[in-house]
Amino acid sequence: MIVDVNAYLGHFAFRRLRHNTVASLLALMDSKRIDKAVVSSASAITYRNAQAGNEEVAEEVRAHSDRLISFAVINPFYAGWQDDLKICHEEFGMAGLRLYPKWHNYQLSSACCRELVNAASERGMVISIPIRVEDNRQRSWLLNVPDVLLEEIVELVKAHPKARFILLNGIGYTGCPLGRKDNGLPSNYAMELSRLSAVLANELGQLITNLGAERVMFGTGMPFNYPDPALLKLEVLDASESDKEKIRSQNAMTWLRL
Amino acid sequence: MAITQITSGPPVPQPRVSRRMLLKGSAAAAVSLGVAALPSARGAAGEQPTSDTPSGPFRKGRVIDCHAHLSHRSRATWEADDCKLIEAADMLGIDQLCCSTLTLRRPATADGFRECNQWTTDGMRRFPGRILGYCYVNPGYGREALEEIRRCVEERGFIGIKLYNEYTCTEPVVFPIVELAIELGVPILQHASHFHYFVEDQPRLSDGGHLAELARRYPEAMLICAHISGGGDWEWTIKALRHAQNVLLDTSGSVTDEGTVELAAAVVGVDRLLFGCDSSMTAGVGKIRGANLSAPDKENILSGNIMRLLRRRKS
Repeated sequence: MIVDVNAYLGHFAFRRLRHNTVASLLALMDSKRIDKAVVSSASAITYRNAQAGNEEVAEEVRAHSDRLISFAVINPFYAGWQDDLKICHEEFGMAGLRLYPKWHNYQLSSACCRELVNAASERGMVISIPIRVEDNRQRSWLLNVPDVLLEEIVELVKAHPKARFILLNGIGYTGCPLGRKDNGLPSNYAMELSRLSAVLANELGQLITNLGAERVMFGTGMPFNYPDPALLKLEVLDASESDKEKIRSQNAMTWLRL
Repeated sequence: MAITQITSGPPVPQPRVSRRMLLKGSAAAAVSLGVAALPSARGAAGEQPTSDTPSGPFRKGRVIDCHAHLSHRSRATWEADDCKLIEAADMLGIDQLCCSTLTLRRPATADGFRECNQWTTDGMRRFPGRILGYCYVNPGYGREALEEIRRCVEERGFIGIKLYNEYTCTEPVVFPIVELAIELGVPILQHASHFHYFVEDQPRLSDGGHLAELARRYPEAMLICAHISGGGDWEWTIKALRHAQNVLLDTSGSVTDEGTVELAAAVVGVDRLLFGCDSSMTAGVGKIRGANLSAPDKENILSGNIMRLLRRRKS
């Protein structure tokens, strides 16, 4: 069983994506033997009203909830986010959130964001935060959206010990408290592996040593990314089979109650 | 030095994952599932993706990383780091790595690039048959740079030249380097990126457009545009190089954007693509493994194209 906690549907404003419909994404998953994927709207990253993207995903995923677990993109500074959260959770059955503080121009430490995290956590929703959407060096001339600073994540996980966070598309955790042993932080966050090295610096192995395999989850970033590099990391990772199984699926299934 | 001579060497650690497993073509599965694919330049000739069978191409084919680096020896861990590079190559089924050693700070001095090239030579000796050397120079040193290239290629068996960002590759100071590369019959791997913003610490950065211009000036040169997957807007770079027939594109870099390799194959043709990692090892291998191309196309990218390039050396 492989569960991908980092997948998307829909269009991205700055690059054509393939495999971005349910049918084509499922076909890609089948070809890579990925059983389930957590998906959210790529369009909602740049839609002003992110809820329109959530509605698109909900409509597409409805008949495939056995394989696709939908997450909502919510901007806590946009009018009506409380209503959107309620609809996404109660009507669409979305199991978590994806937050884009840099793309949506707010601080993770802001009162509105803290309110959203609390409201989602009360509903038992998991909160995922892509550290980046794509490599900033290839950015359009229209904008310059920086990566989310890991220091901001440190403060967020400390401030919400009862919330559960999955950090996506991140790297450099071992260079900050998030990836260090005995870091004094709550164990309320997990890191997805799509950008982590599994050879040479082997940050993936270091994280398993420092925090345990329970804190790492498999993810690809498809269809933004080829899924193969992430799959390859699992293959070459120097870890026990039981640890690999946790990363491959068990951790995500526990967190998502699958 | 002929490539056939550098494949022998002492026993190396057994790969933990077979090359066939890691580089197996995904195209067959994708096609059978109806996944849409960009047309490959050679696909139009009627080649079909092949299944991952024991007779598949990656069992018999060599895998050559066209863009790799050895560690600068100011790093306390340089020796172990170089060993890790070889271990990673073993795990990922990479047979040979085309390496340069770069100075820590640029512009490189003549003493600096000569020292780096000596370390590359040492690396070729430490890992015989695994490391192929690029001679790194700063073209601003004129005669000293040319002498260093000639020494490295003719006496030390280096396979090519590495140019970084000291000068944009269209500046006249670079022309004697290109002319010597043509004389020796070796390729130039040119550091290149295209950003839609000015990069303050690389004011003389080359991009695909510069390489296309240089290629027009020297159609007999063998030029390699470095790391399309780590050099900014890869769609721009691929399109800029469409008509530059003597520029090959190196797929290395940390970016794993889906569709990169297929777009490059469709626009410039698979015969102009070279597999590379530039230290992003699983990204480099994973992109080729994931690309929806035929197995023969992948074989060319993994080694066939660079083998053809390296056979053109004249000494």
